[in-house]
Amino acid sequence: MSIERIGQNDRHRISRRAILRYSACGFGSLGLTSMMASAASTATANPLAPKKAPYPAKAKRVIFLFMHGGPSSIDTFDYKPKLAEYNDKPLPFKRPLTFAEGNTGNLMKSPWEFKQHGQSGLWVSSLFPKVAECVDDICMLKSVVGDSVAHGGASLQLHTGSNTFTRPAMGSWVVYGMGSENQNLPGFVTIKPALAHGGAKNWSSAFLPAAYQGTAIGNAGIKLDDLKEPIEYLSNKGLTVEQQRYELDMLQKVNRQHAAMREHDGELEARIQAFELAFRMQAEAPEAFDTARESDVTQKLYGLDDPDTKDFGWQCLLARRLLERGVRFVQCSHSYKWDQHSELVRLHTHNAREVDKPIAGLLKDLKARDMLKDTLVIWGGEFGRTPIVQGGDGRDHNPYGYTMWMAGGGVKPGFSYGATDDFGYYAVEDRMHLHDLHATILQLLGFHHKELTYFYGGRHHRLTDVHGEVADKIIA
Amino acid sequence: MRCLLLASCLAVFCFGADAPKPKYSAGQRNFWSFRPIQNPTAPEVRDSSWAKSTIDRFLYSKMDAKGLKPAPAASKEVLLRRATYDLTGLPPTEAELAAFDADKSPDAFDKVVDRLLASPRYGERWGRHWLDVARYADSTGADEDHRYPHAWRYRDYVIDAFNRDIPYDRFVMEQLAGDLLPAPDGKEVNERGIVATGFLSIGPRLIAEQDKVKMLYDFIDEQIDTTTRGLLGMTVACARCHDHKFDPIATKDYYSLAAIFANTKSWKRIGTTGVSDIHYSPIAPSAEVKAYEAHQAKILKVRREIDLQMYEEAERFAMPLRQQVARYMEAVFERDGDGLDPGVYSRWQKFLKPDRDPQPLLEPWFAATPANYKQIAQTYQDRFDKEAAEWDRRVADWKQKAAEARAKDAVIPARPGLKDGDVLFLRRVLLERLDPLALPEKWPVPGSIAALNVDLEALRKSSPPEPPMACAVTEGELVKQKVFVRGDAGIPGEDVDRAVPDVMAGSYGQPDFGTGSGRLALAQWIASPKNPLTARVMVNRIWQGHFGEGLVRTPSNFGILGSRPTNPELLDSLASQFIADGWSMKAMHRRMMLTAAYQQSSEVTKQKADEDPENKLLSHFSRRRLDVEEIRDAMLAMDGSLDLTMGGTLQSGTGTDGENDSKRLSISPDASKRRTVYLPLRRSNLPTLLNLFDFSDATTTCEGRDRTNVAPQALFMMNSPFVEERAMLLSKKMETPDELYQRVLGRHATRDEVEQAKSYIAKVGVKSFARILLASNEFIYVD
Repeated sequence: MSIERIGQNDRHRISRRAILRYSACGFGSLGLTSMMASAASTATANPLAPKKAPYPAKAKRVIFLFMHGGPSSIDTFDYKPKLAEYNDKPLPFKRPLTFAEGNTGNLMKSPWEFKQHGQSGLWVSSLFPKVAECVDDICMLKSVVGDSVAHGGASLQLHTGSNTFTRPAMGSWVVYGMGSENQNLPGFVTIKPALAHGGAKNWSSAFLPAAYQGTAIGNAGIKLDDLKEPIEYLSNKGLTVEQQRYELDMLQKVNRQHAAMREHDGELEARIQAFELAFRMQAEAPEAFDTARESDVTQKLYGLDDPDTKDFGWQCLLARRLLERGVRFVQCSHSYKWDQHSELVRLHTHNAREVDKPIAGLLKDLKARDMLKDTLVIWGGEFGRTPIVQGGDGRDHNPYGYTMWMAGGGVKPGFSYGATDDFGYYAVEDRMHLHDLHATILQLLGFHHKELTYFYGGRHHRLTDVHGEVADKIIA
Repeated sequence: MRCLLLASCLAVFCFGADAPKPKYSAGQRNFWSFRPIQNPTAPEVRDSSWAKSTIDRFLYSKMDAKGLKPAPAASKEVLLRRATYDLTGLPPTEAELAAFDADKSPDAFDKVVDRLLASPRYGERWGRHWLDVARYADSTGADEDHRYPHAWRYRDYVIDAFNRDIPYDRFVMEQLAGDLLPAPDGKEVNERGIVATGFLSIGPRLIAEQDKVKMLYDFIDEQIDTTTRGLLGMTVACARCHDHKFDPIATKDYYSLAAIFANTKSWKRIGTTGVSDIHYSPIAPSAEVKAYEAHQAKILKVRREIDLQMYEEAERFAMPLRQQVARYMEAVFERDGDGLDPGVYSRWQKFLKPDRDPQPLLEPWFAATPANYKQIAQTYQDRFDKEAAEWDRRVADWKQKAAEARAKDAVIPARPGLKDGDVLFLRRVLLERLDPLALPEKWPVPGSIAALNVDLEALRKSSPPEPPMACAVTEGELVKQKVFVRGDAGIPGEDVDRAVPDVMAGSYGQPDFGTGSGRLALAQWIASPKNPLTARVMVNRIWQGHFGEGLVRTPSNFGILGSRPTNPELLDSLASQFIADGWSMKAMHRRMMLTAAYQQSSEVTKQKADEDPENKLLSHFSRRRLDVEEIRDAMLAMDGSLDLTMGGTLQSGTGTDGENDSKRLSISPDASKRRTVYLPLRRSNLPTLLNLFDFSDATTTCEGRDRTNVAPQALFMMNSPFVEERAMLLSKKMETPDELYQRVLGRHATRDEVEQAKSYIAKVGVKSFARILLASNEFIYVD
């Protein structure tokens, strides 16, 4: 490209950038946005307006169940009989970089029993009895690979594609590409996200306009019962709705008098509309967050009646309510639980019990509502765990080959993709790097990952950077 | 380990050493921003009555060419409000408004500008603009978000530098190499200079990255990116993996700069595993630092002595119990602790209690039956004995070394650590504070230890204070840098020498890098009047601060993909004046503000809206939304709550907190009444309020804030306790509508407005009306 031609493009590019910079509706971590909506009489486009994907889409929305800490694949979904045979024997090949360098020991068999389930006969360990009932809807990805052996880098790479730079989260890219179906709710919501290992950078829009930033509902450090208001400032503590409307009417009168003396400034009218939208949102949004409106049967299906499953069950049920109302991307986090450098048996058992029923409940509920077909469910952690022992009765981090799974949204049900070696250490078949995972997610949503780009800092960026191959084999 | 391996690889392999030097076309070399800065004469204009300065003539000439006329002059109320927010981030007071109104002299506004520039509030406002460029925050962000306990000194330095109008060339030198500049007369240490290099040190870092070479070079990349975009307006970091796709910057140029930063020390300890330690520089005289360190060593010596003696005491306590592991377990099974130590018995009970979750270590015990529990208890006794033998060997070795240390009056080594997975049973019954065999919590401390504790306390009290530290860089070991092919440190390419990017060196060539890291030469080269970029980039940032957009609308990208200057002659004229003024920022503010362009109103005609919707020609002043700092600070100032204390830190502690501990959040803006610039920023979790109103994300150098306008912001105005409190306090201070208008909007109310407000207040109250004005467009927009 010649210098001259690039110079000519300048004007249009900057104009578009200016539009996004000034009228985009960022929610910050606050939320509920929305924005501009059709009511706004500005010349600027609504960045969250629903957009049609350029290619046929199998999935319309995404829910990511993030198992923060790194659940062990070889104790959950990746059955390795050889491991039992080699129990307490040295790893027969060179150990790659681990987190606790030099402090790991011999191979350790899985303490759990594996069985085949469903028509598909996929293997699931006794840690996940309820999810095992749903295997015929699940597509196992047994060869996921990341680049970081530490939580922070690994988590950032899983969420944003980069373990080096601050980059937009995958939810941000999805909403950037597809907009959102409900202008009274945020397009990208993350429920009780982790504060550590990247914190807000795991749901930030980075250089994408703030409209595409994830909206956090509480955080992982807040107990469910203390989460009084899902989104800050959503209700007024002192005024009735009528009083507030009266005050707002006066404000708008003052604002219109001000605007009348200042012509040709769409921003002033846009802000007037933003207040109207805010007023509508505070009326409508609380309903979406009110899981108590669900039937007893549904609440029980997600395990809201059991103290162990209540938290994650609530997250999954809330996620379903949001997806149903048009939210594009929802993340639930089980944080920060799965990091068993020691006491694998006790704590993995505990962790699995907290999520097994809620996840199975979600899958069954989505299916019953005919939403599973176009809702992409993704399950997994930032890495798996080593087949070699650490801490006497734990396992170290393993990003070299681990299992995530998907369900619904156009993936092959009851299917197993990729494989690790006999011990579950390295991915050896159909290796799926996190970039490939991201490329595949975008493909299922109707995008080619190389084409969904954003110009920033002198070049076009994409979720997959310069990498990524679509795993065609998993697409139904 | 890996670090060393890779380092040795670097020394052995070398590919592509003869790669040809990139050749750039004349067009590339003569790109506008690489050309020497000119000092063009201001054009003659048809109507010179409007122009107050040469700046105006440059602007008028372009407007006139498009058939546009400047807007009428702004009213005094508007102008004062504009200038006061602009220079201080705060609203004018009623007294200032009255004084300006009363001053009918022709230089009344000049005096206002001088007054504002002399206010310490100026540094807080304009220093914050710089802190955006410097991506300032108080923690490492990235993976573990460790606190930077000393970063605030950099922030305070920046505010002070702006207030003192440190010449920008000097300021730049300090950012990159302040530690290498001579200390002021009579001082051993150049405190300011060291603190200033925080510019290179306060960026985000992945401190738990296990690939240590990647960790080092990611941070160097961050330093290169901030330096080149921030100071030079060039996106050099694009060339880490490949030659820059658009600008004439080769990978070799990138690694030539990387060499300088690789020679610079940013880390105290890299290590082979775990979290690496950040380098901090003491900013006290070396004698003070040494005295402090020596005193700390004394404290450590006593502490270790106490540790040893306490361990021995615990050992004496546990020794008879060690043989009774089986005995106590049996007693717990029998639920009969008769004849046993009740405290120990109760701790054994607790330890052996089954849980809902399986505990493999105790599974055999839980399966015990009346028939076999004694045998099973014995297996635990056997296991304990075996592990104790191993543990005691290590302890004996420790005691031996301790004895040797004592003999030499040296510090006793620390208690032996545990290897992962070993003595698994022993460690859970013996070594932790609440374990069955551990020393009971209220154990009476023997006299010798009590005496040591007294010594320790006395030493702690007599300790000299910790010398002040700075989040800074210093000279490191010199590195033989190579190009990393595709950015991969595992694939070293040709050798590189320290150099500045070839194309920017222009006709005056490469600096002499001399010995050391090369930072000083780099700093001098950037801060030179001959550098075509530095002055242009900075005057453009100042212009953006006053007019909303720069003359180049991509202030950190003066490259091919950046935008072109809307008025290149004016940009060059300003840059050369900047240099001629001795790089004085305050002089530049005066130049820009004492213009007809700055003092015109924000009135827009249809013609202007149609023909120049982005106001590139400056035919009117661009209305702007307040920044988040201005919104919060102004609201606090209006009701008299703003605490104007300067400097220092509101953050305490070091390291980080539990993964999902609420302490990982930044301090809530509601928890302090200080100016927003002084709120500490935990990079991974910035305060909601700041995100909501478009604060920079503090992870990369920020060239300008977004100014979005969205419903959640409206919710903040309508429902937040913060705005509620402001409205309440204002309603107690202000009695008439006119007072409220003056305080919140910086102008008198019209007669109609007074009537309208009175009838509303009569019905609903003053507080509600105060909130209306706080939430109004007129408050949040500056005309």
